Amino acid sequence: MVILIRRRFFGTKISPNSHRHKLQWSVKQVTKSNFSDSLQEFKSHLSASEFVAVSLQNTGSFSAPWNRVSSFDSPETAYLKVRRAAERFQLLQFAICPFTISGSKVTAHPYNFHLFPRDELNTGMPSYSFSCQTSYLTAMARQGFDFNACIYDGISYLSRAQELAAKVRMANPINLNHVVEASSSPPTVADTVFVERVKSRIKHWKKSCTDSTSKKIDDALVKSLQKLVLGGEQYGSRPCMTIDVCSERQVQLALEMLREFFDDLVALKIPTKGGGTQAVRVVLTSSKEDKSLLERELQNAEEEQNKKMRGFREVIELVSASQKPVVSHNTLNDFSVIHSKFIAPLPLDVNEFLNSLQSIFPHIFDVSHMMKGIGPLENVTSIPAAVSYLKNRFFAPVEMELSHGALLDESKIHGRTVVRICYLFAKLCSVLKITPGSIQSSDGKVLDGYANAFRSCSGNSEESLDGGIRIWTNSPRKVDCKDLVFLWGFRNRLSAGMLKSLLQGSHDVFSEEFDVCLVDKSCAILVFFHPNLSQAFLDVMNSEEISGSLSELVSEGLRAADYDTYKRACSLGLWETDLASSLDKASATPDRLSQSDPETKPAEIYWCNDLIINLDDL
Amino acid sequence: MNTTRHWPQRAFILSRALSRAFSDTPSPTFPLKHVTRSNFESALVELRSHVRAADFVAIDMEMTGVTSAPWRESFEFDRFDIRYLKVKDSAEKFAVLQFGVCPFRWDSLKQSFIAHPHNFFVFARQEIPLDRTSYEFLCQTTSMDFLAKYQFDFNACIHEGISYLSRGQEDEARKRLISPKGDQLTHPSHNLRETTDLPLVRVADVLFTERMKKRLGEWRDDLLQNRVGGPQEEKVPDDLNQQFRTVFFKMRPALSLDGFTSHQLSLIRMEEVKTDHQRRAEMKINAAVGFRHVIDLLSSENKLIVGHNCILDIAHVHSKFLAPLPSTAEEFVSCVNKYFPSIIDTKILLNADYTLQRKMKRSSTSLSSAFSLLCPEIAHGFTRNVLSYEPCVKVEVHVDEMRSSNWNSGAKHEAGYDAFMTGCVFAQACSHLGIDFQLHSPSENLTQNEKLQKHMNLLYLSWINGDIIDLRTGNRSAELSGSNMIRKPYRKILFKNILLLWGFPSKLKPSMIRDCICKTLGPTSVICTYGIDQTAVFVQFSKAELVSDFLNLKETLEQSNDAISHLHPLSQLLEGGNTHAASYETYKEICASPISKVLFADQAEAVGIKWKTELLPSDKEESHDNTRSHLESAMDSPQAVEKSKSRNTEDVVNDSSNKRFCDDIIDSFLKVEKIRRTTNL
Repeated sequence: MVILIRRRFFGTKISPNSHRHKLQWSVKQVTKSNFSDSLQEFKSHLSASEFVAVSLQNTGSFSAPWNRVSSFDSPETAYLKVRRAAERFQLLQFAICPFTISGSKVTAHPYNFHLFPRDELNTGMPSYSFSCQTSYLTAMARQGFDFNACIYDGISYLSRAQELAAKVRMANPINLNHVVEASSSPPTVADTVFVERVKSRIKHWKKSCTDSTSKKIDDALVKSLQKLVLGGEQYGSRPCMTIDVCSERQVQLALEMLREFFDDLVALKIPTKGGGTQAVRVVLTSSKEDKSLLERELQNAEEEQNKKMRGFREVIELVSASQKPVVSHNTLNDFSVIHSKFIAPLPLDVNEFLNSLQSIFPHIFDVSHMMKGIGPLENVTSIPAAVSYLKNRFFAPVEMELSHGALLDESKIHGRTVVRICYLFAKLCSVLKITPGSIQSSDGKVLDGYANAFRSCSGNSEESLDGGIRIWTNSPRKVDCKDLVFLWGFRNRLSAGMLKSLLQGSHDVFSEEFDVCLVDKSCAILVFFHPNLSQAFLDVMNSEEISGSLSELVSEGLRAADYDTYKRACSLGLWETDLASSLDKASATPDRLSQSDPETKPAEIYWCNDLIINLDDL
Repeated sequence: MNTTRHWPQRAFILSRALSRAFSDTPSPTFPLKHVTRSNFESALVELRSHVRAADFVAIDMEMTGVTSAPWRESFEFDRFDIRYLKVKDSAEKFAVLQFGVCPFRWDSLKQSFIAHPHNFFVFARQEIPLDRTSYEFLCQTTSMDFLAKYQFDFNACIHEGISYLSRGQEDEARKRLISPKGDQLTHPSHNLRETTDLPLVRVADVLFTERMKKRLGEWRDDLLQNRVGGPQEEKVPDDLNQQFRTVFFKMRPALSLDGFTSHQLSLIRMEEVKTDHQRRAEMKINAAVGFRHVIDLLSSENKLIVGHNCILDIAHVHSKFLAPLPSTAEEFVSCVNKYFPSIIDTKILLNADYTLQRKMKRSSTSLSSAFSLLCPEIAHGFTRNVLSYEPCVKVEVHVDEMRSSNWNSGAKHEAGYDAFMTGCVFAQACSHLGIDFQLHSPSENLTQNEKLQKHMNLLYLSWINGDIIDLRTGNRSAELSGSNMIRKPYRKILFKNILLLWGFPSKLKPSMIRDCICKTLGPTSVICTYGIDQTAVFVQFSKAELVSDFLNLKETLEQSNDAISHLHPLSQLLEGGNTHAASYETYKEICASPISKVLFADQAEAVGIKWKTELLPSDKEESHDNTRSHLESAMDSPQAVEKSKSRNTEDVVNDSSNKRFCDDIIDSFLKVEKIRRTTNL
């Protein structure tokens, strides 16, 4: 961890431009106090920009080594892993940067929003509790993160789904004047009785109200007596009456009947805390103007309430509404967090997630995926490393122009990663000979190959977390998931090399080329480079008679399972500390997945052709 | 980076300034002793002497949260063992951010207590890579927000907090150190790697190495014990060690002249390098133990520990610094009693004694209100209230070089200040109990004081129910009725009579569920319903057999999927097909799970409950029964608790205990059953 942090720390010093003063990009820091002002500013910057870059700071990412997304993960398992992290950990900083590329010049407007899931509305939302990984907090502390500012002053939010739930729970009156539809079924006798009764009540009440207003009774006692006798109430300064209803049918009937009074009456639905309708409240207005005034008031109040509930999500909604392409460095991680915190709880199925995401952000670019377009072997994963890599190999000058000017205050350094993403994206566009301007004209066709890239690439983009550079000495090979076998139950502290030499010659299946790599200290992955050998090996492991040195290993407790068992462990949520115990539990549970949805199989095979096993890990 | 170094002080000044603004008297406003990584070593040395001299030590802590889910809050319907499980869950999941330690010493010359409030910022970092699992803790959003409202300094905690290892972790680290396979701790140098390759072939070699190993081991162990014992002891090391060390470092050439062969020498060198590495690793471990040195100090000095409503605090101490929490309250209590033989809870004290009750004027026994009522002089800075007929116990506060006899500059909900308040409340309470500190001689031990004995080692397992646990015996008792005039007497709860329901339609309120069941099992069948959260409810029946009756009926209704079952009054409850029902024991199972989903229904699913209706075994007595329910369990008629799967509708009708069924329902059931039979035939 120490090495990791140091690396990340030095990483911040790698300048995309050799001039030191230009390094000091200034990012607008936004907290609760300046949120509404900044939102207006952001809105105008967003509408004037072509792209939006995002970068997130979470309180953690994985609880056990094997819980992080690795190169052997299929889209399903990778998604399940990031899903768990997104649900567990909290988002503390959301850096977002609308930017425009014109030639070699990038105009960027970086903002860094400090978030805290404060329960502003006393509804137990957005988050009852969240997990923190100490290593993440320590790393943030080293970068000078101000936790006080975040917790005292962070902006809260509700996801779309939570907002709906909160509205139901808060039970605010809803204006019903515009939502009247003709009833479908013919009225029954009871309906007619109900309608007639309410009608006469309303007529009576309305009459007495207008009478009393014309008489102008000022005496408070008389007024209150009248109120008592008539059962009238006040809605603000206007008189109102409550019609109790027993069913949604009666709501419908009441509204239909009220249509004839709509000139000066406003009907409000008083919901129950459970979401049903408790009553219909009718408010009497003195004139048409007064009625529209009341309606405007109601609408404003609702908007104000919505704004308060949405909080930071307003920014997400703006970006979504703008339909501008979103650039990120860690798409799968970032967008699973965005989806779970601001849209709705993450679905179990990866395709469902991708479809839902597609409807909100139609164009998503992953810069690390674009890096692969330059050199598939050069898996440069951290942003500073990618920048220096490009600088050394290509001439692609990019000039950054930031809206918030030069850095004056050191506290403005947070969230600079997002500016680096803009910079890297611009450089990549220039190197890959993509004209960003053409995106608008040709509807994104040029970048299509890169857009929404994480559909096909899930594994390797995640490596950027540690900010390290992975040097590939051997060429990667494509392996089918079917050729992978998980092994566990071997002796403690066995290295991959030792395990490989133990296996070699222990059985015939190991006569062909194979390889071993450790997932964590308890479990290893076995790769067979020849088809069908994995199945042969699993059959051997399951058979009663095992001969040779393999039997010794088995008697020591060696176990094996196929890729489906691993998938099952992920989908059942068996996130044990050691992968071995997860696989143990997963193999104990019956295989329901393969029978229930056989149609997922082809997708898996398609992807597996793309699976890359990093031989350097072996 | 430098600017970030300064902000803790800035924040301190801010919070101090705030507290200053609120206190109207010009009491000296020096801060309490804040201890972070940078001043921990020196503060520990000082604290050691303060604790040694102290009559009692007050503690308090601030955590990142209390309950990991709404349904994990304390309920009236929590049985004793469940209550412990809830405390356990909280202590396991949340982190301690601040640990307040305040030793109090009676100074007979000044006729006053001397208090040394310490406020330790604690943050568990992974300083020694024990295993590759990450350190993770939970934060409850409302708790964090609460702390923020009191200007809690999160930065000081995360940037500068003192880390720690539990006893278990320390042992693990030492084990790794000793284990021959080597690991991350003893990074073997190039030199060592060369020498370790030396094969030990001859018997003589092996014996020689073993002998050297033993001597070195002894030396190392002694060195270590000194370190643990305290730095001042290091000045007088054992003669033998001194000699050995001299021999080892300075007289090695002489040793070689003494007839060691070069082979033997290389063996020595190998051991030497190894030992050097081990020593360095030992020191690293010692440093990593960090804040736990304070806990060890409190434990080894055997002082009276004073806390306010401190069961959760003690549980945190156990789980963070001693060992993982055991699964039962009895084991927990015996372990705590071993390490801390005398603990007094001021909340128990205030509620148990009548004179104190009167003093408290029936107001709440929360720490701050107790403090301002019992110690007005300190809390409000009143100079000798004329109206008070009894003099207050004086407390003088010492922080480093500063001292004050009417100090009041701590921020509330700052652990160090809360510990100080707790200590003051305790001292005042003692005085009201008739303990005269002026007659108190330094040799007299408060832990032996007769007047305190009946309150000693009692903790509220749950304040809500007044359930008290005795740390010496593990016995639990309900709070003496009438001792606390504020509270209503507790209803006795028969847990056998309680049914757990979850996953019902969200529109149903507990009262509606009650009506729904009463319609089926009779108007007097349900005593009350109690909402756990919006997805789950407890139903307290009047008789234990009604629980199994309900479960059986539910099972029957769900299996017959015909029109009549839809007309059944219970169908409203079963709507949606996701309604689960179980006995109280399932509640325990769910509470014991390490998982914490926000909603109870989700939790039950995550725990892995696959059935929809728990069917009770017929004649076996529940093993984890509450003593109170033993009386009631005798009333269980065996035929009522029959297994329902084997039951059919006829049995339901024949069963004598089912007279409560509405007749028409039974009739309609019979009709349907008849139709079904005829069609089958």
